[in-house]
Amino acid sequence: MSLTETVPQARRRDLRIPLAVVLIVVALGAPYMGSRYVTHSLIIALIFMLPAHGLNLLVGYTGLLSLAQAAFFGIGAYTAGLLAVTYGTPFYVNLIAAALVSGAAALPLGIPALRLRSTSFVMCTLGFVIIGQAIAKNWVSVTRGDMGLSSIPKPYFELGPLSFTVSGTTNFYYLALAVGVLATLAVWAIVRSPAGRNMVAIRENETLAESLGVPTWHYKLIVFMISAMFAGVGGCLYAHYLTVVSPLTFQMYYSTTMLIIVLGGGAGMISGTVFGSLLFVGLTEALRVAPEVRMIAYGACLLVLVFWFKQGFAPLINRFWNAIGGVK
Amino acid sequence: MNAHLPLLEIRNLSKSYGAVKAVNDVSIHIDRGEIAGLIGPNGSGKSTFFDCSTGLARPDTGTVILDGQDITGWSLNRIAREGRMLRSFQKTVTFKSLDAEENLVIAGQMFTFPSIAATFGLGKLSRSRIEGLRERARELIKMAGLWDVRHQPAGNLSGGQQKLIQFASMLMPEPKLILLDEPMAGINPKIIERVVDTILYANKSLGVSFLVIEHNIDVVTSICQRVVVLDQGSKLVEGLAHDIIQDQRVREAYLGG
Repeated sequence: MSLTETVPQARRRDLRIPLAVVLIVVALGAPYMGSRYVTHSLIIALIFMLPAHGLNLLVGYTGLLSLAQAAFFGIGAYTAGLLAVTYGTPFYVNLIAAALVSGAAALPLGIPALRLRSTSFVMCTLGFVIIGQAIAKNWVSVTRGDMGLSSIPKPYFELGPLSFTVSGTTNFYYLALAVGVLATLAVWAIVRSPAGRNMVAIRENETLAESLGVPTWHYKLIVFMISAMFAGVGGCLYAHYLTVVSPLTFQMYYSTTMLIIVLGGGAGMISGTVFGSLLFVGLTEALRVAPEVRMIAYGACLLVLVFWFKQGFAPLINRFWNAIGGVK
Repeated sequence: MNAHLPLLEIRNLSKSYGAVKAVNDVSIHIDRGEIAGLIGPNGSGKSTFFDCSTGLARPDTGTVILDGQDITGWSLNRIAREGRMLRSFQKTVTFKSLDAEENLVIAGQMFTFPSIAATFGLGKLSRSRIEGLRERARELIKMAGLWDVRHQPAGNLSGGQQKLIQFASMLMPEPKLILLDEPMAGINPKIIERVVDTILYANKSLGVSFLVIEHNIDVVTSICQRVVVLDQGSKLVEGLAHDIIQDQRVREAYLGG
């Protein structure tokens, strides 16, 4: 009997399930563990995770760098805000409408933009955010211009005879968590489907994919629209949470934040986007209480990323996950 | 199916880039079950001819008829998907971060799923389709002699092994016709034999016809029955492989004499 055959007894236990349980408990119990401000930071992280998920499909899986995400985020926010203010529609109607309007808006924008080559495409998507802001500012009869939409009602649900309103930070956290979990599962399903494999094929080598019968143009357009739908859902939550939507919802800062979440978290990995949102949005939001170190910490974080984790943090998370599971 | 017609017929194809006539009024045909060769010195328009035939570039004039159907102007992906005419590229190309099996599954997907919408499915049907593709992929990987490296990212493999992946990928959809652009360029002699074997196997056992651009004359004479020679964008001569290499005009074109 060789020495190695006795090793299995000494093998480490699989710690993944206990850790997952801990994470779920923390996610569910977060509002009762930290202060209200922590809960608020987590809500903001969850809201930004949605457009980031969409962007990850585009950048991480299909290989298309887009800065338009804030434009679709803004379209979603205005759609939900206008519906809620004007018609007092229930939350899920606003949510679906925001997704559909953002997705539909991506069609006429995507058709010309996706004909462009890499850098021109990026510049073109940058334009969408600026155009979106200009429209929000100047289409006063609908958007109320610079005043924006205010006193957007709290999300309310109507299920048959039951109706209830989600009020308070804690309750909104659970709403955002539910939407975030569903969106994460949706991304997972898309990525796991045969279409997800085609998206990776386009990222790796578009001409080769094309030569193997993959209609790359159609896939790129569809993914562009799906990513806009995710942004629209995020915008809907944003509108209901802040209760105010202004032309500033269309800002480049949001687009770059979403991009940092995806690239910093780890493009092409779902865990990366989740982690990235918590780190780059949740943490910076939480650090607002210490404004003098906030941007320094943010900058330091980005530097660490650029020099030590060029692939983002996701490979690190995966290695850790495998290590605690006893997998090499 | 019109068994008496050639499988592929290209009539009077021309393509210019600016003032340069890359391909000038070339007509060729490929019969069912045939391995035909396309040779010519560098810059004679072989690759442009390929690009125009397979939808990667649009010909200025000319008609491409595949299996009795006019496919001129179709896109590259449509010609592959609906025409089952596939092509390789001169540069070795694979999906580098994916392993051999995934590479081959991607190659088969659009031929197994009836629509783009269906590819978003995760249900039982979708899974059984992918499982079917995996089985076929494993068979082809075995045949191509890549079994031992099947779990490595394609980008980590040698140029020759990647060529074999590319070649096996093209066999996934049960093609009618494959156009190979310099399959032997830049690979070592051992792999050349394997590629030749795979081409002959695909031709004999799977009934795939081929049009092969190749500079290695030994390979051309050993696998091709009929050879077309291009020179400066025009068809110089066409005939049986053994006669062609003896042809004085061909020698002059190659030697520039």
